[in-house]
Amino acid sequence: MLVPLYGFLAGDTLGLLVLVHDDDRIHAIAEQLQLAACVRVAPRAHAQVYFRGERLDPQLTVSKAGLTPLDRVDVVPEEG
Amino acid sequence: MPKLNRDDWIDLGRKLDWDYSYVREEDVFPERLSGRPWLPHAEWQRWDEPYRTTYAEYVDTQADKDAIVQGVREAVGRVEDFAKLDRSWLNGLKLHAATMAFTEFTAGIGDIRGARFGRDSAWRTMALFGALDEFRHTQIPLLLMHELVRWDPQFDWTHRLFHTNNWMAIALRHLVDEMCVGTDPLEFAIATNLVLETGFTNLQFIGLSAIAHDVGDRMFEKMVTSIQTDEARHAQIGHPVLATLIRHDPERAQYLVDKWFWRSWIVFAVVTGFSMDYLTPLADRRLSFKEFMEEWISDQFQKTLTAFGLKRPWYWDSFIDALDIYHHMLYASTYTYRATMWFDLALPGPEERAWLREKYPHTWDLLDPVWERITERWRTSGPGMEWSTQGATMPGFCNLCQIILSNGTPRKNAARVVEHLGRKYIFCSEPCAWIFSREPDRYADHKGVVNRMLAGEAPANLVELTRTYFEVTPEVRGKDMLCGRYPWLRAHRNDSGLEV
Repeated sequence: MLVPLYGFLAGDTLGLLVLVHDDDRIHAIAEQLQLAACVRVAPRAHAQVYFRGERLDPQLTVSKAGLTPLDRVDVVPEEG
Repeated sequence: MPKLNRDDWIDLGRKLDWDYSYVREEDVFPERLSGRPWLPHAEWQRWDEPYRTTYAEYVDTQADKDAIVQGVREAVGRVEDFAKLDRSWLNGLKLHAATMAFTEFTAGIGDIRGARFGRDSAWRTMALFGALDEFRHTQIPLLLMHELVRWDPQFDWTHRLFHTNNWMAIALRHLVDEMCVGTDPLEFAIATNLVLETGFTNLQFIGLSAIAHDVGDRMFEKMVTSIQTDEARHAQIGHPVLATLIRHDPERAQYLVDKWFWRSWIVFAVVTGFSMDYLTPLADRRLSFKEFMEEWISDQFQKTLTAFGLKRPWYWDSFIDALDIYHHMLYASTYTYRATMWFDLALPGPEERAWLREKYPHTWDLLDPVWERITERWRTSGPGMEWSTQGATMPGFCNLCQIILSNGTPRKNAARVVEHLGRKYIFCSEPCAWIFSREPDRYADHKGVVNRMLAGEAPANLVELTRTYFEVTPEVRGKDMLCGRYPWLRAHRNDSGLEV
């Protein structure tokens, strides 16, 4: 099932709508959002995903992480 | 019968109220149409404003003003006159003209409601003049820009914008439909006459006419000067309405002022923020948008609040913070979604970025990396490759103001998700969420662009959405103003075209 999320990449100037599947891994959100925002923010190899202030395990699936449609997630690229 | 002199006659003519014998006052001025709190006319009879114009004087003055605009149009309103102007200024003109014409028309509807349901005859008289003003302000940009459509089809959006589902049109309609059509005359007077006109546009027009003069755009200078003199008069409706409301319901007065100041600010940041800091040629910039806002808008607005005994809006600190960054966040975002717009946007070069850094020392470091990234992509792709600096993923839009989610900073976007009756809403900022929470019945059913897309009412593919739903066709599609052909970008390439 498709899960539309509002994604906010640290360093970017706006929030984007990210479409993921409920069985996608959390790291896929980071990759997809960085790709979507790459016009404005250079992608980094690693990034953390946050939901309601908590860092999500990158190996969790979207549904296991408790994300539901139109939730806000934050993606914070790691330095280096 | 002796003829009264003008000063003796005017109060007789404009203060023509009477008691009703066949119907109740509540039926002539129902609360739903006249506004709440409903008060008997005795509470409104002190309503007064300083202009005290008669209809004959109004017509004479307006005829003179129209003659002046027509004279300037004949002298400098031809295509060849506009063709001499700076390209970035012309694109600011497209933005202003498109957002102005039908906002003014819709305000005319609000004024007409005031001309019938305003609670004092002097108010109704002024509202009638206001309506005539607003229709004039619709017709002037439509007339002037129409001449330019054959030269540049983007000017067609002076008329077209409000008739499309372009995201900016949805945002503008959401604002002005509520402000001018969905309000009673009391809220309209505070939202439009007091907050938008007295607080923002009246002063903006003075500033814009000065910039237009410097840029050499005599037609626009004369247009906004002519409009501003009307605004200065009919904006006076708001003060006596607010004074009466404060006497009877100060909490509602404070709420309406707080709500409409934030709603006005959001759109003002787009139109005037873009124009002053990005679309005015660098050599002609007198003040930054922030300096203009501090000197002309926020200081004046605070004086108005103090005069009425009102507090500053509870979000004032956030507003002051936003002066430093919000329109920059919006502009960088819009630049990378410019294909959804009807005007072209400029890439700020080294000199512009140095100026912006000087004017915004506390926030520019957060924004400059975004422009560096965009610039690098232009360098890599070369001129003409529009796609290399455009986003392809659907942006999110605020469920209150309908503008893209660009409040806060690049480090911490201020958007927040709120659940209401089982539906999730996203708001770009705390004040937008607060306005929704105060009047959820008014806003909850409105579908933003994302909601329409998810409901299958709008295409999910951004290219298709732009073309068929936003109705931005290839001939008007927003581009980089020089398609990446900036001299300072070329300076980074050697003779063989390779980057150095």
